[in-house]
Amino acid sequence: MTRHFRELSVAGALILVLAALAIFAPGFYQPQPLLSLATREAPTLVVACGMALVIICRQIDISVGSQFAVCSVSAGLLAAQNTPTALVGLAAIGIGALLGAINGTLIAGLRLPSIVVTLATMVTWREALRLQRQGAFVNLPDRLQWLGLSQSSGQWVLVAAAVALLAALGLAMRHVAAGRFVYAVGTDAEAARLAGMRPQLVTFLTFVFMGALTGLAAMMNVAQSPQVDPKSGTGLELKAIAAVVVGGVAISGGRGTLWGVFVGLLLLACVSPALTHLHVEAYWEKAIQGAIILLAVVADGVRTRKTDR
Amino acid sequence: MKKLFCFALTVLLLGGCGKSTLDRGSASGPGAAGTGGKVITVALLPKSKGNAYFISCKAGAEKAAKALGVDLLFDGPTDTDPAKQNEIVENWITLGVDVIAAACDNKEGISTALRKAQGKGIKVITYDADAMPDARTFFVNQATPEGIGYGLADEAARLLNGQGEVAIILATLTAANQQEWRKHIETRVAEKYPGLKIVAVRPCDDLKDKAQAEATALLGAYPNLKMIMNICSPAVPGAAEAVKQAGKVGKVKVIGLGLPSENRRYVKEGVTDSVMLWKTEDLGYLTVEAAVALVKGTLKPGDKSFKGALGEFEIKGDNILLGKPFVFNKDNIDQFNF
Repeated sequence: MTRHFRELSVAGALILVLAALAIFAPGFYQPQPLLSLATREAPTLVVACGMALVIICRQIDISVGSQFAVCSVSAGLLAAQNTPTALVGLAAIGIGALLGAINGTLIAGLRLPSIVVTLATMVTWREALRLQRQGAFVNLPDRLQWLGLSQSSGQWVLVAAAVALLAALGLAMRHVAAGRFVYAVGTDAEAARLAGMRPQLVTFLTFVFMGALTGLAAMMNVAQSPQVDPKSGTGLELKAIAAVVVGGVAISGGRGTLWGVFVGLLLLACVSPALTHLHVEAYWEKAIQGAIILLAVVADGVRTRKTDR
Repeated sequence: MKKLFCFALTVLLLGGCGKSTLDRGSASGPGAAGTGGKVITVALLPKSKGNAYFISCKAGAEKAAKALGVDLLFDGPTDTDPAKQNEIVENWITLGVDVIAAACDNKEGISTALRKAQGKGIKVITYDADAMPDARTFFVNQATPEGIGYGLADEAARLLNGQGEVAIILATLTAANQQEWRKHIETRVAEKYPGLKIVAVRPCDDLKDKAQAEATALLGAYPNLKMIMNICSPAVPGAAEAVKQAGKVGKVKVIGLGLPSENRRYVKEGVTDSVMLWKTEDLGYLTVEAAVALVKGTLKPGDKSFKGALGEFEIKGDNILLGKPFVFNKDNIDQFNF
């Protein structure tokens, strides 16, 4: 019970929000809009999974939003040249992994602080894209939307893919050596090294994996609409980090679970549509999201102080 | 290495908001050449020369230049870059053009250079985005906030026969132009269309994906919603995609301010009813016409109207008004490629 107290308290908050909606705005529970909401959040879940790994490894990546945009636009341009959809997806993942590898090389190879490196790459990729696209949308061929399936099957496939990925990663983090290495490096890199691991390699691979997941998420987003907005992914890093923090992953590394991240993301994702359904002015949205994050951080702080004593 | 990084970062960040006033005092150069008998040279400065919007302005400007028998120079930054704009104006001063027509990226930043041009006897007007009033003679104003707000409200009332719930999606709740447009829409609705009810106003952070999410929530939360009105351009295709995915095409109408190219698909499919924007070609045409008239002396400060090949345009103070925004719909959208 106490072991999963954080995750359970977030789940409790989510249940409260959902109950309030059931009472005051039952219109929220309609199958089609809920499926659409889940589909829209599926790419964010994929990025949040990667972000959880990065933060558990005691690093941070604020360039994911820009990586997401580069992957989206590249995927769109490839698709527009009649590249087969599967290849487009692989290219998006590959480009993401490459961008992640650049971050990883600078952080693990040169031992630079990840916040500075990813701040630099965030600005660089975003501005390069602006220069290249001049803000123009990329128009996609029709066959790409919903991966060639009907709308509802396409939506189910995207949601199922994101949840399956979450489950697989959740299990891997517990039961596969590589997953446990991430926890070990995030807890104490020196101890991990003495235990025979290679902390810098683990860090590097974590960033490559983050990039690959960002590429996958970009592809999942591209498949939802007939056009790619080159500004897409703006603010994605904040959404992902917020979900991770609210979900109980310690920002100081080494602790947290992916299912907590899942619940954290669900809670944050519900805020905006919930406010629309409750007819609350939009001015409150960011304040409420901020308050949830603050509450999560305070809860962590209080708990850490207790355990320290 | 760390230092190098911080330096690179600083350069990057400064580059984003750089403003350099290239005022080198008394630069050399021949100054403005006389206009008598010589072909007039009009220099047209866009905010960014690769942007579809300004390329369309240029097409109109070229038509006007041909019709009036003047030389047209068109140059600007590749990406929006206020410092580069100053540099180009400085070059034009050295070159001794007759008139500069500028779309200003940084109001204060470029005004110094434009004042300098005026000091050398070069006429200056602005279009699309104004400079400081003392740095130019006229501003060719493509659309007043009132024109946009009233135009959208009128179009909404026309499509809904004056009855129904309308939700607005805008860029942010804080941007000045968005708030002004919203105010004018609400004023017009309150005065003229009592049957229209604005039930919600949601921000989309100027992102298409967020607009789509907001529109999806609106469609669920307001079952009687008849229209989503979008007053920032990425929101129009975002809302259209949401309406399409919700299977509410025809039941919920979509209109907004936007570019034809981003909305062509939805307009043709009947998801989006109309997209409003000024005719950018006309903006380019009128700008060149007014610039030439200013050089020739047929357009003077204090004039109340300006008559050109496109018709007669009202002058309010020192703003030449292009008039009401243009409505793109199924019938005409294929004629526009920006």
